[in-house]
Amino acid sequence: MSDELVLEMRSIRKEFPGVVANDDVSFDVRRGEVHALLGENGAGKSTLMNILYGLYRPDAGEIRLNGKPVSFGSASDAIDAGIGMVHQHFMLIPVMTVAENVVLGTEPVKDGFLLDEGAAERRVAEMAKTFKFAVEPGALVEDIGVGQQQRVEIMKALYRNADILILDEPTAVLTPQESSDLFEILRTLRREGISIIFISHKLNEVLEIADRITVLRRGKTIETVPREGATEESLARAMVGREVLLRVDKQPAEAGDVLLSVQDLHVRDDRGIEKVRGVSLEVRAGEIVGMAGVDGNGQTELIEALTGLRRAESGRIEVGGRELHHASTRDVLDAGLGHIPEDRQRRGLVLEFSLAENVALHDYALPPDSKWGWLFPKRLVERARRLIEEFDVRGGGPFTPAGALSGGNQQKLVAAREISRDPKALIAAQPTRGLDVGAIEYLHRRLVTERDEGRAILLVSLELDEILSLSDRILVIYEGKIVGEHTGEVSEEQIGFEMVGVQRKAPAA
Amino acid sequence: MTAWGQGLENPVSERLRDPASTGYVAIFLGALAAFLAIPPIEARSPTWPIAIGIVAIALGIWTATRGRRRLGWGAAVAGLLGIGLGILATRSGTGNLETVFDTTLIAQTFGLATPLVFGAIAGMFSERSGVVNIGLEGMMLMGAFWGLYGSDRGGTWVVGLLLGMASGGLLALVLAFFAIHLRADQIVAGFAINFLALGITGYFFQQFYNGQVTGNISVVPNLHIAGLGNFFEGSIGDLSILTWASFVLVILAYVVLFKTPVGLRIRACGEHPRAADTVGINVYLVRYCCVVLSGLLVAIGGVYLSLGPQGNGTFIFNITSGKGFIALAAMIFGNWRPAGAFAAALLFGFSSALALKLQVYSSQAATLFQILPYVLTLVALAGVIGRTVAPAADGKPYAKQ
Amino acid sequence: MSEPKRDLVESPEEAASSGTLAARLSLSHRAGGIAVPVATVVLAFLLGGLVVLATGHNPLTAYHDIFNGAGLNWIFHPATSTTQSAAAYNLSQTLLVATTLILTGLAVAFAFRCGMFNIGGQGQYLVGIVVANWLGVNFAGLSLLPHALIAIVGATLAGAAWAGIAGVLKATTGAHEVISTIMLNYIAIYTASWLFGDGGPLQNSTQPTVPISNPVSSSAQLPVIWGTKGFQGLDIGFLIAIAALVVFWALINRTTLGYEVRAVGFNPEAAAYGGINVKKNIIRAMAISGAFAGLAGALDMLGYLYQYGQLDVAVSQIGFTGIAVALLGRNTAVGVFLASLLFGGLFYGTTQGLSSNVIQPELATNLTYIIQGLVVLFIGADILILYLWNSRKRLRARRPPAQTPAKATTA
Repeated sequence: MSDELVLEMRSIRKEFPGVVANDDVSFDVRRGEVHALLGENGAGKSTLMNILYGLYRPDAGEIRLNGKPVSFGSASDAIDAGIGMVHQHFMLIPVMTVAENVVLGTEPVKDGFLLDEGAAERRVAEMAKTFKFAVEPGALVEDIGVGQQQRVEIMKALYRNADILILDEPTAVLTPQESSDLFEILRTLRREGISIIFISHKLNEVLEIADRITVLRRGKTIETVPREGATEESLARAMVGREVLLRVDKQPAEAGDVLLSVQDLHVRDDRGIEKVRGVSLEVRAGEIVGMAGVDGNGQTELIEALTGLRRAESGRIEVGGRELHHASTRDVLDAGLGHIPEDRQRRGLVLEFSLAENVALHDYALPPDSKWGWLFPKRLVERARRLIEEFDVRGGGPFTPAGALSGGNQQKLVAAREISRDPKALIAAQPTRGLDVGAIEYLHRRLVTERDEGRAILLVSLELDEILSLSDRILVIYEGKIVGEHTGEVSEEQIGFEMVGVQRKAPAA
Repeated sequence: MTAWGQGLENPVSERLRDPASTGYVAIFLGALAAFLAIPPIEARSPTWPIAIGIVAIALGIWTATRGRRRLGWGAAVAGLLGIGLGILATRSGTGNLETVFDTTLIAQTFGLATPLVFGAIAGMFSERSGVVNIGLEGMMLMGAFWGLYGSDRGGTWVVGLLLGMASGGLLALVLAFFAIHLRADQIVAGFAINFLALGITGYFFQQFYNGQVTGNISVVPNLHIAGLGNFFEGSIGDLSILTWASFVLVILAYVVLFKTPVGLRIRACGEHPRAADTVGINVYLVRYCCVVLSGLLVAIGGVYLSLGPQGNGTFIFNITSGKGFIALAAMIFGNWRPAGAFAAALLFGFSSALALKLQVYSSQAATLFQILPYVLTLVALAGVIGRTVAPAADGKPYAKQ
Repeated sequence: MSEPKRDLVESPEEAASSGTLAARLSLSHRAGGIAVPVATVVLAFLLGGLVVLATGHNPLTAYHDIFNGAGLNWIFHPATSTTQSAAAYNLSQTLLVATTLILTGLAVAFAFRCGMFNIGGQGQYLVGIVVANWLGVNFAGLSLLPHALIAIVGATLAGAAWAGIAGVLKATTGAHEVISTIMLNYIAIYTASWLFGDGGPLQNSTQPTVPISNPVSSSAQLPVIWGTKGFQGLDIGFLIAIAALVVFWALINRTTLGYEVRAVGFNPEAAAYGGINVKKNIIRAMAISGAFAGLAGALDMLGYLYQYGQLDVAVSQIGFTGIAVALLGRNTAVGVFLASLLFGGLFYGTTQGLSSNVIQPELATNLTYIIQGLVVLFIGADILILYLWNSRKRLRARRPPAQTPAKATTA
């Protein structure tokens, strides 16, 4: 590693409607270093990298490449300038070979017009040898593992002569063994003089691989430190911060009967990977149990299994004492489980439906909404009107399409529907994601009110603040398992560590 | 709208995903076809052995294009053998059959398959680039009419061929514009194209010919090959040059799509346009070119209908009557691959040739063989057996970031 | 992933690139209201007129003739002179065509509402024709009501079953309904052609060389409500079609079944979250869709065709026209009704010996197909609709800044 700066980003600002994603962010990269960009979800890491890669234009600030100011209008400008990006979602064509994927767009040709597969494979094989990739050039991408697919993405960038490589949360999709293989490759690349920007929120990884670490929090640069001297504790403090935005006034919980109980649940995702690996939990009447965890640690699959949207491999689920074995969504609803889904636009609402129709999404087939299959729209409208008032949904009446409401009001509508069904237990998944402060406060107060009414509430959130301020009991999920449980006072740092797997030292280290 | 191959998850086919099962069923059916004709069952008419044999061949093609090449083609051969043995065994009693099963049946199979081959290959270019082409039928119809008109006015079939292709290409350009730039639903737009072609060709047919073509019109010549012996002269000694051209096209399509950088880029646009875009490929340009090429090619199939040996310089309203759709079916059947589509087109052509020949003495059997391609496609499409892999982005409009 | 989720009002662009077909079509409601279909029709007629003009005919006279040929002049002078009775007759014939189009249009519209594209209306219609003919020819001993009823119900159920195949295939194996209904169309066409053809089971019993069916017995023929039976008067089937419109409207808007259909059509994932069985709805919606088309076949057969031949099978396109009707009619009952009248008028109006001889009926018939194709082409183009939407937004956006300074000065 030299001290020569290959990339400087100065005072970058990027605003989205209602959110400042990057606020005066500065960042630089030296030749042949691994520079980690560390921060929580929503800290602004991806925005910064998308600006560098030409996908977004900054509102203010300057980018210099090898000392010269540059301005990228598109990703191909960035590629031409020697920047490569490995997206979290790979840009690979599964039905083509490794070599084909690597050379696509810049293919070697023989006999004037034929694709020179042989040359392509030789080039890829050479590259694989130089950087110790261990990838078969002739294999189909769909047949190789995720770790190898990631190497193909890296090779695509190298084939185009990238000397700055952005890796967006590269270990999120990898097993620990694959991660340590990746780190080996990154070390090789570093030796070859390639600079790497490593985006992550996992402290142990960052400390293992990075030469320097820049911490972002809420769109701002907090600090840039060399690895030497940095500790997990110091980084976590910088990353999580001390301030807590929201405090909710609430009485101590008076927990009653167990209304939601899960025992040894195992769930696989669409690709057949086991994402929930033996979760057991109980939620009692009158308490809010918060589930903290980094995105992708099995929360989505757990919720889907609880609500009948995904079939569990094994385990036992009970709602209000009733066992739900391979239950349909309908059965789960009837058993008294409410669910505020994590993606209200995709799942929680039919955006083309009116508010009145959305309010009836679970109960349209029951009296008083309908009788013998005949729907009574007036009753839907009456109910919608009542709920709109009670839950302070603004921006439309019963006949307004749900898609026309703002996010906060959409979420209030979902909450109104779920709560008005008088569920025994309520799952709230990321209930305040992307909402403004007013809506967040409203929903938080409402959840506490419902707790006091005697409902069992399971709050799943990526926002640690939210978990800390609302929960009576906190569970931490990491890699599909509950790794921590806390009642009473607990420090943010402690939970933050558990969320990123600090308690169990990384197996590959 | 979701792409062709996608849909709800399919627990049935999940279990039967290995295409080998289809191959074994095909071999069994091939044997069954022969078995039906010999004692103790001793079917008198060859209809059933042939029908079962065709199903066996179809399953064989299906298997072969979905990963089990040797087993699949083996199964197809088993089906062919089954048909042959079935015919041999039933032949003895009935003199009538001799008139059906002769070398002209082979010639007719090639003849009837020709427009299907052009259509299937044409559809393949469009769909491999990510644009579903339901409008094949209409583009073929345009080729048929304007080919005839060009030959009539230009005095030679060459002018007809060029005008026919141009008309198909032009209509394809309309589809491309709506599907790519206006991001219309590709199926709705393709469907509209078919109606448009029906109206345009009908209108001008009435305007120029009053609904009836009279007089001599230069037609596409046949290629006479002598000195091959009776069998080959009867079967391939007198085929249209467009039929030979369709054979060449299959090979060319294979080379272009799978052996050149251009083909790699086309397929990339159909599989993952965003990935293609990020490495600097102009997705819109590729799709435009492919859709227009698709129109040019399928129109040749149309020209064959009006100026080939069957049309022989005539045109009737809606002359294609669904051939564009069977071509589409052949393409799907062949799993978007040239060889598979070619085999499926031949099989469907064979079925139609049988239907024509059998018309004289058994309308049931004729109907059976007419329907068979559609039924086979329906069953195949259900994906109960093996997997249909449409290009992943087929049918999805692409919006640049 | 870690990007803050922006909660903007969902833009039509997003809906267009991500939504289901039903969602995409619904955006046209928001985008342009009645303006889009009207503009579409006008544009299609203009382009069709250009073709007429280019081939040396006067488009205005041609359209005027088609208008009169459809009997629409009757509306302006419903007196009873000789020309007026001709106009009345023409109008009754237009309504007869509209009857079929209403039902084939509803068939397509119902499937659309559930997010599916039923191209198989033609096949389902033919299945209805065949079954209605078979039931209408047999059971001659029955009296009118039960006989006609049996034939109608039988044909309707047959249409439902035929479309249901595509529904079952989609729900169980994921087969795309467009391809499967196209295949089912041709299977129906060839089967019907064989049934009515020489030596076919449903061929007539008196003329063995004519490939046409027996006429349905008089006990199954529907009563005529306007005109005379011998001259193909308007039968009660028209009223049944109107009733079907009401049923469609009620089913979609006033029943839990319709609620499920619409929810699945707009957003299957949200529907599943709401506790709706998506697969069941796919099958059921397809079957109901086919029932409408089967009913269309039954009413045609029992109302005025009475018999059907191989040639009719070959040239019939009425089931396909249902697609244009549904798309133009925005998949609503009222829209389908209006679009049926338009296409019914076009179809019948162009088959007449047109009074001024400006354009032959054969030419005019094909003009109808051209217009139909153009209508479908334009209505399916999101961006055209988006353009209208955006220009409206631009207009709205332009107004406020003009007001703000004015306020500032007065304040």
